[in-house]
Parts: sequence; structure tokens; C-alpha cells
Amino acid sequence: MPGQIVVTGLGVISPIGIGVSEFWKAALEGRSGVSAIAGFDPFPMDGYRSKVAAQIHGFAPERYLDAVQSERVDRYAQFALVAAKEALADSGLQMAKENPRRVGVIVGAGMGGMVMGEREITQLYQSQRPHRVHPNFIPVITLNSASGIVAMAHGAKGPNYTVSTACSSSAHALGQAMQCIREGRADIVITVGADASITPLVFAGFCSLRALSTRYNDQPERASRPFERLRDGFVMGEGAGALVLESSSHAKKRKARIYAEVAGYAATSEAYHMVIPREDGEEVAATMRLALADAGVTTAQIDYINAHATSTSIGDAVEAKAIRQVFRSRADKIAIGATKSLVGHTLGAAGAIAGVATVLAIHTGQIHPTANYEEPDPACVLQGIMASVQERKVKAALLNAFGFGSNNAAVVIKRYAP
Amino acid sequence: MSDRDVTQRIIAALADYLKRPPSSIEPDHHLRDDLGLDSMAVIELLYKIEEAFDIQIPDQDLAGMATVASVAQYVNRRLTQTTQPAATQSRPTAKGKKKR
Repeated sequence: MPGQIVVTGLGVISPIGIGVSEFWKAALEGRSGVSAIAGFDPFPMDGYRSKVAAQIHGFAPERYLDAVQSERVDRYAQFALVAAKEALADSGLQMAKENPRRVGVIVGAGMGGMVMGEREITQLYQSQRPHRVHPNFIPVITLNSASGIVAMAHGAKGPNYTVSTACSSSAHALGQAMQCIREGRADIVITVGADASITPLVFAGFCSLRALSTRYNDQPERASRPFERLRDGFVMGEGAGALVLESSSHAKKRKARIYAEVAGYAATSEAYHMVIPREDGEEVAATMRLALADAGVTTAQIDYINAHATSTSIGDAVEAKAIRQVFRSRADKIAIGATKSLVGHTLGAAGAIAGVATVLAIHTGQIHPTANYEEPDPACVLQGIMASVQERKVKAALLNAFGFGSNNAAVVIKRYAP
Repeated sequence: MSDRDVTQRIIAALADYLKRPPSSIEPDHHLRDDLGLDSMAVIELLYKIEEAFDIQIPDQDLAGMATVASVAQYVNRRLTQTTQPAATQSRPTAKGKKKR
């Protein structure tokens, strides 16, 4: 019997810090990782409606990764490699002592290898020389390049795949990893969320969709403001989060430190609209209820919600409405936080980075601030949203993630009790 | 371009988008309540209008566009502004290249 599914290792690479300790220190300070985009060489930013993003500046893959390995993959997969490496080291797991077929890798990625993708497509159309398309183009842009390279880096021969559901990708990856161990198909799953697609075309696409904040182009650090009255869209971010999930029996056998338990998961579709959530919040509420039921946790037990909260006008309001539907009078007693206020919307990485923040909240008893929460929006008032650190002994938390394509995910993470 | 021309062109764009005859669309029709456009459909419509009238519509200006007439009024105002020498909206580079 696998027993409970626990988290034994964490890794993160984010716009506010590379590595868990740097990330968490900045998160508790409520620091914003958003800055002005310098430009997309050779594009000036003039033609872009939004001009800010949460980028990881000065990332030097050679500092963390084997050169041959990292050069063969796109930026998002490099991020995945860095985060997974940290999480594995943190878990104390020694792959040489493990049965490699019992170690899986499940990655959530929304966009994939867009840096090389855009470059090669542009070059082909400009040069019209098909034989100059890079031989590595296909393996790099294939959406499972990150799950592949992470497995290769660590010799993990168990279940290996990528979940791609846009902005909820790595929340689903977390849920899938939990189910994979629960079903006995692996003892350990290295779970990663990664995306790095702040590229000329993808950024233009989100601008055209009018999904991005444009009001704070001159004050980038104020642009990502979930649940706040003056929010006007999300801020694109990039990064990766990694969590080593393990059966409690396996973790105990090797005397691993256990951060928390991943206790439940729900995956649903609103079957409604490609990019708009149902305004009544019923579908989001149903997803949260299903996750709670899967975890065997009641609404009275939840004391922290790491909200999807992207800082869009409709999305945040729908989520707040759904939280009130599910938790009723308790809704105002729950601490509610938006990790995207710090690192922007890292798309496919968002669920995993939020997962790291949620696990750390349980582990440390501190909930990071929701940056820029200055004036509550009447459409999404919840007393538990705070611009300052909240000290709270979190016993059970809910992580929400919603993606384009009308899909929703919710994951329940609890304090571990043997 | 007269108010009437702008309105007619917007109705034509809407008719094309909605696959229905232009005669069935009135200036006082509400984009959402009468024509059934959701927020994404409005964004797609504005994308067409930006191209048709060679203007860029900032996100902040979307709020006032509820009816066909209000979209036409907005476009008219913008067209009058852009005929002034100091137009604030710069064209993106890619578009300039395409025109050449």
C-alpha cells in the first residue's frame, strides 16, 4: 500500500528568486518580480499594448546545468531541469539506490519551446531555406521535451509525460502525480511545471487577446494586482516549480523529511468557452468541492487557499464568488493568497510554483503577502486576502488553477500526519 | 468619412462576423444583449475594426463600447484625432513593413 502521498523535495526558479530559499525570502517580503520589458530584439516595444512582464533576468544555464544537456533544450526545459535538480537534492533521494522504473516524471507545460519555435519559423519564412531548419527543432518544440530531459538527467524510467492544459497545466501535473502513486504505478514522481514564452509572438498574442495589464506600463511592479480594484489584466511571467511526490511508505523507509501531504485532486471542464469562465462561479465551485471530497477534507478544515487569481477583471471575481459559494460564512476566515501578485502568471509553471508556496505555507506557518492589494474590489471582497504576511498554522490548503479551453483543477495539500 | 459611413462599415464587419444580413443590424443594437457577442467576440470584432480603419484601440477604451452606435462614435472620434498631425498612436513596425 502506498499510504499517503507526500512532498519530500522542492525546487523553484522564478522572477523573484532562483532556488527555494531566495524565492521564499522574496515572497515573504511581498516583492514583485515584474519589470519593464527591455524589448524583443529586433522589435521595439512601441507596438505592444502591454510593456511589462515578470522575467528571470540574467539566467545563466551553465551555472546549474551540464552544457550539452542544456543547449539541446529550450529555455522552459532548462528551467524545468534547474527546478527538478534542486527538488531532488532537497529530497535527499539517491537515484542510485532507487528502482528507476518506480520513479516517474510528470511535467505541466502550457506553451513549451517557443523561443526556438519562433526563431526557426521566422528564419524559414524569411530565408526560404528549409534545409537550414535546425535539426533539433522538432525535439525542442515537442511539448514533452522537458519531461524527457528531466528523466534523462536523473535516470528516472517510470511513467513519463507532459500535461498541457494552458494555465492549469502543472496543477493537473500535481494531481496526476498524486494519482500515479496512489494507483501504485510509481513510488516517486518528480513533478514539474515550467514555461518560458515571453517571446515576440506569444506576448503579442496575449496582447491581442487583451488579457494583459496595460495600465501600469510605467509602474511595472504595480501591474500584477489580483483581487484589487484597479487590476486590468494579468502580467506574463516565466519560471518553473518542482515537487518530489512520494508514497509515505517509501519516504518513511528512507527517513525522508516530509513537508506536506498531497491529499486530493479534481479535474473538470466547464464545457463553456475557450477563454471566458462561467460568470456564476458554479463550475469553479464544483471543482473545489470535488477536490475536497477526493481528499476527505471538509470546508471547515481548509484554512488557506492559494488562489488562481491572475489579476484579470472577470477571472478573480468569478473565483471569489466560487470561494464564497463553497465556504459560505467561513470564506472570510480563510487566508487567501495570490502567488501571481509576485511572479506574474507563469502559465504552465503557475500550478507548481503555487504548489511550492502552498507547501511552504504549511511547513513554515507563514503565508506570503498578496502584493499590490491596496483597495479591495467590491466584486471580490474576501477578508483573508492580505497585503502583509499572515502567520497561521495551516492544516489544510486548497490550490486552484484554471486554464484556457474551459478547464479547471483543484488540489488539496495538507499538513502531514502519519 | 461621415458618421453614417463609419456606422455602415461597422455594421458590415459585424454582419460578416455574425454571418447574417447587414439589414438585420441596427445602430442601437447592444453588442451583448441584442447581437449575442461575448467579451471575446467583442475583442475579435475590434481586431477587425482596427484593421479596417487603421487605428489601434487601447484596452482602456473598451469599457464604453456597448452598442453599435457607441463603437461607431468612438471610431469616428479616433479618425478625427488621427487626421491631426500629432497622432499619439504609433504604428507597429511589422505593419509598416507589410505595407511596403
